[in-house]
Amino acid sequence: MVIARRIWSLGLILGILALAVAATSEAAQFNWQQFKGTQIRVLLNKHPWQAGIEPSLKEFEALTGIKVVLEVYPEDQFRAKTLVELTSGASSMDVFMTMPGQEGLKYMRAGWYQPVDEYLKDASLTAPDYNWADFLDKARDAMVIDGKTIGPPIQIENSALMYRKDVFQKYNVKVPTTLDELEAAAKALNGKPMTDDGQPGFGFVARGKRAAATSQFAGMLFAMNGTWLTPNREPAINSPEAVKAIDMWGRLLRLYGPPGSENNHWYEASSIFSQGKAAIWLDANSLFPVIEDPQKSKIIGKVGYAVFPKGPNNHPGGTVAPWGLGIPKTSKNQKAAWLFLQWATNKEQVLKLQSGAGVLGARDSVWKDPKGRGKVPADLAESLAQGSKVGTPLWNPPVVAVAEVRDAIGNAIVTSIQGGDVKAAADKAAADMKRIMAETEGK
Amino acid sequence: MTERGASGQEQVWAAPAGSGGRFSHFIERHPVLIFTTPAVVVVFVLMVFPVFYTLYMSLHSWFASSLTKPEFVGLANFKRAFTQDERFRNALWLTLYFTTLATALQVFLGVALALLLNRPFRGKGFFRSIFLLPMVATPVAIALVWMMMYNPTLGVMNYLVGLIRLGPFKWASDTHLVIPALAMVDTWEWTPLITLITLAGLASLPLEPYESALIDGATPAQMFWRITLPLLRPTIMVALLFRAIDCLKTFDIIYVMTAGGPGFASETLNVYTFQVGLFYFHIGYACSLLMILFALVLGVSLVLIKTRRGSW
Amino acid sequence: MRTSRRSGEGPWTYILLTLILIPFLFPLAWMFLSSMKSQVQNTAFPPVWIFKPTLNNYREVFIKNPFFTFTLNSMVVAAGSTGLALILGLPAAYAVARFKQTGIALAILSARMAPGIAYLIPWFILFTKLKMIDTYTALILTHLIVALPLVLWVMIGFFEDVPGELIEAARIDGCSNFSAFFRVALPLVKPGIVATSILSFIFSWNNFLFSLIIAGFKTRTLPIAVYNFLSYEEINWGGLTAAATIITLPVLVLSLFIQKHIVRGLTFGAVKG
Repeated sequence: MVIARRIWSLGLILGILALAVAATSEAAQFNWQQFKGTQIRVLLNKHPWQAGIEPSLKEFEALTGIKVVLEVYPEDQFRAKTLVELTSGASSMDVFMTMPGQEGLKYMRAGWYQPVDEYLKDASLTAPDYNWADFLDKARDAMVIDGKTIGPPIQIENSALMYRKDVFQKYNVKVPTTLDELEAAAKALNGKPMTDDGQPGFGFVARGKRAAATSQFAGMLFAMNGTWLTPNREPAINSPEAVKAIDMWGRLLRLYGPPGSENNHWYEASSIFSQGKAAIWLDANSLFPVIEDPQKSKIIGKVGYAVFPKGPNNHPGGTVAPWGLGIPKTSKNQKAAWLFLQWATNKEQVLKLQSGAGVLGARDSVWKDPKGRGKVPADLAESLAQGSKVGTPLWNPPVVAVAEVRDAIGNAIVTSIQGGDVKAAADKAAADMKRIMAETEGK
Repeated sequence: MTERGASGQEQVWAAPAGSGGRFSHFIERHPVLIFTTPAVVVVFVLMVFPVFYTLYMSLHSWFASSLTKPEFVGLANFKRAFTQDERFRNALWLTLYFTTLATALQVFLGVALALLLNRPFRGKGFFRSIFLLPMVATPVAIALVWMMMYNPTLGVMNYLVGLIRLGPFKWASDTHLVIPALAMVDTWEWTPLITLITLAGLASLPLEPYESALIDGATPAQMFWRITLPLLRPTIMVALLFRAIDCLKTFDIIYVMTAGGPGFASETLNVYTFQVGLFYFHIGYACSLLMILFALVLGVSLVLIKTRRGSW
Repeated sequence: MRTSRRSGEGPWTYILLTLILIPFLFPLAWMFLSSMKSQVQNTAFPPVWIFKPTLNNYREVFIKNPFFTFTLNSMVVAAGSTGLALILGLPAAYAVARFKQTGIALAILSARMAPGIAYLIPWFILFTKLKMIDTYTALILTHLIVALPLVLWVMIGFFEDVPGELIEAARIDGCSNFSAFFRVALPLVKPGIVATSILSFIFSWNNFLFSLIIAGFKTRTLPIAVYNFLSYEEINWGGLTAAATIITLPVLVLSLFIQKHIVRGLTFGAVKG
């Protein structure tokens, strides 16, 4: 009927009006310029992400009217400086790069993070298209500590298998998918000529330097179905599975790896690998720019990237480790800082960083975007997606005193590399862990 | 020896001409006060606060946090270090091992070189300037270059020793070789200092004992052992203790080269304290370790000052 | 002094000298050579001895790092702490020498004994509360902890060598204490002052630990710059050695020209008599 049609069209118009009002009012509620005139102090670790985002900072300043004072330090110095600032209680930092798996629990319990859950829920502080759900599950979960979200993830990496495709082909060795195959391959290729001038190389290279090794070793521990702590938080590093993992890591390096592995951080390991002197490298796949840089590597285009080998019973291995951004509780510009956190991790920036600088971002939509892969090799992208689904987020023991526990466990790894009594070393590591945890978490 | 001025106390001389006024009169009567107070005040302010803070914190237990306060524990930290902390005892031992090895090497080499070089030759100045270079080069930079050279797989050290059919060694990556390897770097850096000090000492030795010894028919060896060495002893002692103090406190090169590794094989007290404080967040315990190191250095320094005073 | 002066100027002497110099020069030469190699050449084994040198690393160092800022900062801090150390330390050294104030000498020298780390957190807290982090003032003050005892240690020896009679004579002529110090003693110890200034400058220039924590972004000094080359991705050996060469070059050149004074300064602190 005519009246019905009129009511219908009125309803339609009203509906559209309502939507329009809602849309504009939502946009009007969130305003990039709401903290115009403030200044924020951002501390970043020297890192591909930092190198990628720096040129875009001017955009942020133009968008928000917030001035960014940026400070960049290499990792060790960055940690020392951040720690001193946070401990003093008098820091003027507003944003800092953080690795929840490394310091998250400690910093949270020390009252140093400002949680951002409230900001995420607040429509006036969070852009409507920010889409928190777009971040990869495990990356997002890793940024939640003691039930509170500390910030967005900016990069994700796996402990992964990197190998010389050409060497494997030449000697007709199958690319390992399990740990047993890994050992067989390392043994078969050890000592075979593999450099570009026909010199022999090592079958296997990886970190062995005490604490630094534990983050990569975690992948193997997990594959063996071992873990750091039992469900009631007792050390499990001397369980039969864990001992097998420690034994294997040390054995691989001792028999098929370079001498002095117990002092190798990723710097040394990557040098040896990119010089063509090793067939297999187990480490963080975010380090791929080193291997693919024509200025620095002799093996460009010859490297394959695969998921961390599986353990017995096809148990998956590998780790998932994100870097993120956080806001110190002492910051006087927390909300302005939150705008920075958002902007730096919105879809546009992540796409730019991933396709341009090769940063392994943490947004699902960007990985699915054909433009999003950029220079990242196809098999790396694939293995990253796969590895991030099956890998363990516990690339460090989930304790408060991470650094101290890592050193205790790392010591057992060093003993294993040197051919010592692994069970005894693991028992000692467990005892140390128990003591450290009692001291630092009992209160 | 030079003559001393008036004994420690100020004596009022005849009223100085010129500037009058109560203030300049005050300066006149208390030169020691005026001359030394600024320096003492600055040192006091800059140093006392940290030292007292460290002392205060060493008696507390504090796992760095903005939520929990430091807790007074008396001497528990010290007790723990000496009786329960294996890593501390390891660090103490390594500190003494490194210091003794490095100092002994430097002094031995330095004195030997000085004796060899104690002859006239042209271009002494030029030689000395080159010889100085290891001492003035930036330690952090040099340590990294040495790391490069020590790399077991890619470093030039293994190449060089390979030329004389030795090695390859793991150098700073070897549990047993790491302290000697580090001591070698320190020796490389500071032997020139010992040599220069000894040369200066040799240059100021009196001639008479040698002349009378020659008349008595002494051999060069006898002159060396009976005259040169004993006369040089104060000089050498001072250089030795000076370097010993610095070796006890060595941080830069060890931290940059091995961070205390492999395992804990090169973790001296200084490096261990840095870990405990800045990476493990045990601020109170770290402070007690610092006090122990301070006491160690103080002990050696007192010996140094007493020796120096002896020759005043 | 050795009286047996055989002809020390024979060729053997120079051969000996060269042999002695080689191990001491080698790491520095290696540093310089590496700075002109590419990363691939730098990580090659056996080491590359003959190669086409490149200035790429130096270019990279200057482009990627505000090296002029670093250098300026290092200079300001070194000059500032040296100057301040002289102003405070020279009178003090004079007083210690002339009036035998060993107690005060000990008090100031003890500053040299505490391990550097002990100063870090308390200083950081202090300077943060005074809002002085990342200022030249803070850095200069912290470097004083090294410079002032050094000035004292060396200058006490020099002042002791000033003949007491000269001072007495001046005093009898009616000189005030200050004039005696300023007009009589000071000119006589000029070589010592030169020596100490240079040493203090060099040690401040090389200081790493304090700058690490107290310096901020605006006041970063050169040793920190070297550390910058240890980044998340790799150790850039070429860049690192280029930076290291740039940092050590000024002090090397300085000491080449003024070695006589440096030697006097260093040895005077040790040798008496």
